[in-house]
Amino acid sequence: MASVILDDVSVNIPIFDVSRASLKKALIARTIGGRFAESGSYLTVAALKNVDLEIHDGDRVALVGDNGSGKSTLLRVVSKVYPPTSGTVNVIGNVSPMFDATLGMSLDATGLENIQIAGTIWGMTRSQVKNSIDDIVDFTELGDYLKVPVRTYSNGMMLRLAFAIATVRDPEILLIDEIIGVGDINFFEKAFKRMQRLVERSRIFIVAAHQDDILRHICNKAIWLSHGNLMEFGEIDSVLLNRYRASQAAQADAPERETATA
Amino acid sequence: MNMLSDIQDMPASPAMVISPTADTLQSRLKPIGSVSRIFSDEILSGFRAWPIWTVMAWDDIRQRYRRSLLGPFWITLSMGIFILLLGVIYSRLFHSDIRFYIPYLSAGFTVWGFISQTTNESSMAFSEGQRIIKQIKLPYLTYVLRVVWRNFIVFLHTVVIFIPVAIIFRVTPNFATLLVVPGLLLVCVNVTWAATILAVLSTRYRDMPPIVATVVQIMMFASPIMWPVSSLGDDTMVAELNPIYHLIQLVRAPMLGTVPELLSWLIGGGMAVVGCSIAAALLVSKARRIVFWL
Repeated sequence: MASVILDDVSVNIPIFDVSRASLKKALIARTIGGRFAESGSYLTVAALKNVDLEIHDGDRVALVGDNGSGKSTLLRVVSKVYPPTSGTVNVIGNVSPMFDATLGMSLDATGLENIQIAGTIWGMTRSQVKNSIDDIVDFTELGDYLKVPVRTYSNGMMLRLAFAIATVRDPEILLIDEIIGVGDINFFEKAFKRMQRLVERSRIFIVAAHQDDILRHICNKAIWLSHGNLMEFGEIDSVLLNRYRASQAAQADAPERETATA
Repeated sequence: MNMLSDIQDMPASPAMVISPTADTLQSRLKPIGSVSRIFSDEILSGFRAWPIWTVMAWDDIRQRYRRSLLGPFWITLSMGIFILLLGVIYSRLFHSDIRFYIPYLSAGFTVWGFISQTTNESSMAFSEGQRIIKQIKLPYLTYVLRVVWRNFIVFLHTVVIFIPVAIIFRVTPNFATLLVVPGLLLVCVNVTWAATILAVLSTRYRDMPPIVATVVQIMMFASPIMWPVSSLGDDTMVAELNPIYHLIQLVRAPMLGTVPELLSWLIGGGMAVVGCSIAAALLVSKARRIVFWL
């Protein structure tokens, strides 16, 4: 059983002024004793506001919303990277975030060494890494290239390897931020199939993306975020429809702004 | 108008609403998750994550010396040349017998190298790991232990130089030599808590790294590393009051075949207890904030 339950979760992200982050300023502020009106406070961004959510086994959730609506923040809250400022987060099951496939890759290490380094950082044990090597070699078709430093790889080769390592896991809760494009067209289909299998292995799958048609294909539910607020959580078709209607309505309300940007 | 540039550097999704809030008041009023759970998540799990920090540390070392012929043994070679040169010159400067001075210098300097390098590099512990920190939740201690372990590996490469030195200058191993193990362990504990505190503070206050670097540099000259305590004459207070002296003694004395003084054990042990408590308290209380400081 896996589940993700968010109860009244808010996340405020502090922004530090360069001058504010300095020790000297902190000391001065302390010794002068609050002469600066803002001392002891800093600007914060409300990235998520009072979000309530319940996601259960079998839910394939699409995370939709404009840029800066809090999608990445929500994923980071579920993966425990961001502790909530208030509210409670209850996640049952091991979380496997895949925000950046090249995470943990070391340019000067060989392909095989990278499988070990990145695999370990992704939380695999030594024997799991060992067992996965054949699969990765098979999938990447890199052959002897795996024995040379990845520094010498082309972008596409690098991505293949990173993608293969990142998708070798057995996640209970899989989080993906943006769907990744992988190399050439031939490879894309192979990558897409592998991705689908990874998604199928997971109990809960949450993906943030902008491509509605792909999302309809792989998800059954959707979360719509706007300015850090949870607008709607439910069946994907109705959420996407409501979001579309809302954007149409907003456009109708502000025709002059539309022409200004167009 | 610093604000604008700050928003661009922000770790997470861009701004929607920007409002000044009173400090971390909100998070202080509503502490989420008990202290003991954070302790277990951050500190116990940090040690348990050893497969991760050892792999990271080895990769750091490999990256530094990749494609070089001698690899990490460059550290050994440069340390060897340094000790030979300094040994010949300084033994005269301090009117010290070269047969005493060179073993003394090579033992002390390698230990000091471990302490000082770890201290200096610890201030970057979280910033060098920030790509991972912002994507995968690992205990923060993982990144500190990576720095400590990396420098311990370097230490093992430098301490090799002591073997030919001991043979040439007839430093014979005896039972006291075995004390090098508990001595080194105590140094590691002390270095780890200091690194933890510095890692947290340096992430929040960006002036810390240069301050630390300055203090470390001064301590190298102020501590009996390159000069023997005996050169102070009768008044050895300057050395006795220096905690660095006692830490170094815990390893250097056994290496030279003598037992460290009881005072050194007491100070080393006392600092370990107090320091670890402070470091643990600091890490537990700030664990929920660190990611936002990066």
